[in-house]
Amino acid sequence: MPSDCLSLTFSALADPTRRAILARLVEGEASVNALAKPFKISLPGISKHLKVLEKAGLVSRSREAQWRPCRLQAAPLKEVAAWTDSYREHWEQSFDRLGDYLDRIQLKGNPHKNHGTEK
Amino acid sequence: MEQKNDTPASEFTITRVFDAPRQLVWEAWTQAHSLAEWWGPKGLTMKVAKLELRPGGTFHYSMATPDGHEMWGKFIYHEITPPERLVLVNSFSDAAGNIVRAPFSQEWPLEVRNVITLTESAGKTTVTLRGGPINATEAERRKFDSFHASMNQGFGGTFDQLSAYLARN
Repeated sequence: MPSDCLSLTFSALADPTRRAILARLVEGEASVNALAKPFKISLPGISKHLKVLEKAGLVSRSREAQWRPCRLQAAPLKEVAAWTDSYREHWEQSFDRLGDYLDRIQLKGNPHKNHGTEK
Repeated sequence: MEQKNDTPASEFTITRVFDAPRQLVWEAWTQAHSLAEWWGPKGLTMKVAKLELRPGGTFHYSMATPDGHEMWGKFIYHEITPPERLVLVNSFSDAAGNIVRAPFSQEWPLEVRNVITLTESAGKTTVTLRGGPINATEAERRKFDSFHASMNQGFGGTFDQLSAYLARN
């Protein structure tokens, strides 16, 4: 089964170190060394995480400067946000109907339970 | 039950309080005729093909648009703990139950795992749903799930930061 972009993004976001890296990159581009500093992880370890982030399109690395700064890429995050919004909407609508349904069956089962006397 | 490792890594959470006892809400989630009343996109006619309420079992349904176009979908149940917790993976499918892409979007995840918890207080039931796309391969899934604990602790704040970043870009 093929994986989809969104799953790839979520998978990349599932790791706390990678999220911390992204959070750091929100402040601006940074070298691998600078990114590694706050973590008790080796440089190769950080590079591994960066590769996952690059593969998910969340981070790009400049080839121009010799220190190859890492940069946050917003597009996949926007996809995550868009999917989350539509998924939320789907559930909000279903929950509206679930609420109506529960009201209906409770009225049916117990006609005395009412939300207000009829006027 | 592995309560810790079966939650999707996702920031997606939705909570709603229903004015009904938990047992009733549980039944609404787990009975075919009840699900047909409320689950699914608005305006579509739901029909239940089968519902096997057991771990590994399938809830398979069709959804018909007013102009007669038919889509299929399914749940695979991963965990069933009446009347408090359900873990299920939701997908679009074909009539035979094979997972397919969402008819309206190539980007919609193939499989979305949902953890639904029901708690009751003073006769009202709070339903919390956490959900997120999962990767198709088991290896990826295991890797994905193993970060559940840290997801719960740390994702919210990070996501806020990232959202702020998105708003600026």
